[in-house]
Formats: sequence, structure tokens, C-alpha cells
Amino acid sequence: MLREQGFNAYVITGGLSAWRKAGGAVEQVPQDDIVLLPTFS
Amino acid sequence: MDSILTLIAHHGYWLIFLAVFLESVGFPVPAALAMIAGGAAGASGILNAPWVFALCLIAMLLGDFLVYFFGRHMGWLLLGFLCKVSANPETCILRSAESFYKRGKTTLVIAKFIPGLSTMAAPLAGSMKMRSSQFLLYDFSGAVLYTVAYAGLGYVFHNFLSVIVHGFQAAGHLVEYVVLLAVIGYIGYRIWVYWTHRIYRVVPRVQVEEVARRIKAEEIAQIILADVRSHGYYDAGAERILGSIRLEPNNLQPALALLPKDKDIYLYCT
Repeated sequence: MLREQGFNAYVITGGLSAWRKAGGAVEQVPQDDIVLLPTFS
Repeated sequence: MDSILTLIAHHGYWLIFLAVFLESVGFPVPAALAMIAGGAAGASGILNAPWVFALCLIAMLLGDFLVYFFGRHMGWLLLGFLCKVSANPETCILRSAESFYKRGKTTLVIAKFIPGLSTMAAPLAGSMKMRSSQFLLYDFSGAVLYTVAYAGLGYVFHNFLSVIVHGFQAAGHLVEYVVLLAVIGYIGYRIWVYWTHRIYRVVPRVQVEEVARRIKAEEIAQIILADVRSHGYYDAGAERILGSIRLEPNNLQPALALLPKDKDIYLYCT
């Protein structure tokens, strides 16, 4: 869809796991982006 | 029919245990029919009735606790996996969690009688961090109710054993047809997905080393890293590639207006 709309989109082979294996830097997801689903605890 | 009776007489306990356990961990196995047959076999003296009841309970509790345990320790990943077959995994996860929460923990007691919910209830309870003791209490009550209902049915109406065995045999064929239909449906669905999304095959792929090289070369201003995992972040402590943004794949349209067309967008999932 991105390509269809004219964006230069690429897919990272292996995704986040490959990134982690290659020693790439990761970050904690900001609190605002986390959807807190209901829990019983 | 004789062969089935012989099979039940020789391997009945294992068959019942296996059917109930497999259904508990989410396989589409007709465990209710196995319990009815077990109850009837117990009443007819082919199997030991208390053993049949005990095995059903143990198999169910083991299976349920296993998926509860995975749900509890894998967070929402297991539910995300179960919701993958859904058209919109995000909505599936949100609705399942909210619906379970609204109905309360006692849902576990009746969940086994409700198709769909019976598969989701135990992993949901785990993902929603229900205490183990509470889970075991409610799940045990549900398992007793389920076993008494179905094995009890077979026990009370054991005179209809032959009819039930025939039904069991027919159900075996039915399961074969259902599995065959499901496989054909799944292959059809995959072909449809492949056909409608064939444009994706032309989306170029890049290795992580290439992306890392561009970041090191301080080309970060020219690129955007976008996390397009099919479901959102539900666990505190969730991680993503440093500097990336979230793109909800099921709701891309609003995000498109904010994306620049002069930058390279690198998409990734798990």
C-alpha cells in the first residue's frame, strides 16, 4: 500500500529479531504508545 | 463397531485422556463425544467409571493450566498468535480481553460450554494475570461441571452405548471432513491473500546490516524506521528498534498523511 501511494518503503529482513541478533540498539516503547489491556492483578 | 469397542476397552483411558487434553490446549478434537463414550463405557463395565471421571478432570486441568501458564509468561503473544486467524488481530485481542474482563473470572466456569471462548479462556486468564490459585479454583469448577455434564450423560444413558459409539464413529468421519474442509479453506485463503497482496512481492527487502550502516553513516534524517507488527504494545517493557515509530497496519490511511515521501521507510515486524 505504501509503495502504491508513492512511498519508498522497504522491508527489513528478519524484523526485530534479526535486528536484536545483529546487536542493533532497541528502546522501551514510550508509555503513551502502550495499550494497557485489563488485568485481574 | 466391535473394533471400536475393543479399541475403547484396550486404549479407552488413553484415548479419552488424549482427546480431552488436546481439546484443552486448543486442538479441534471432539472431547465431549469422547467423554460421553467414556461415561457410557464406565457404566457398561468396559472401563472403570471413577477412573474415567478422574482422567477427564486431570487431562482438562493439565491442558488448561499449560495454556494459562504460557499466557501468563508470554504476555499477549499467545493471544496474538491465537488471533492471527482473525481478519483484524488488533480488534480480536482488544475485544476478547474486554469481554472476558466485563464478564468476570466466573466466565471460566461456563467457558467450556461456549465454542470459541473455551479455547481463549485459559490463555486469556493467564495474559490477564489472574492468580494461579483463583484460576485453578474456577477452572476446576468448570472442569467438574463439563465432565459431569458429558461423562455423566454417557453414564446415565449407557444403554444407548451402541448408538453413541456409532455417533463417535460418525464424528470421527465428520472430523476428517471438517479438517479436510479447513485445509482446503486455509489453502484458498492463502491463495487469495497472495493474489490480492502480490504487489508486496515487489517491495524490496534490506538486511539489518544495511539499515545499521545508514544509521552509523548519520543518514538517520533520511530514513524512517516503522514498526508494523500486526498487534500493538500491550506489555509494559515492550521494546522496538531505537528511534522507530509505530504504524498500525490495519489502520494505515490516517498515518499516510504524516509520512514524508522523500525519505526511505524501513518496515519491520517481530
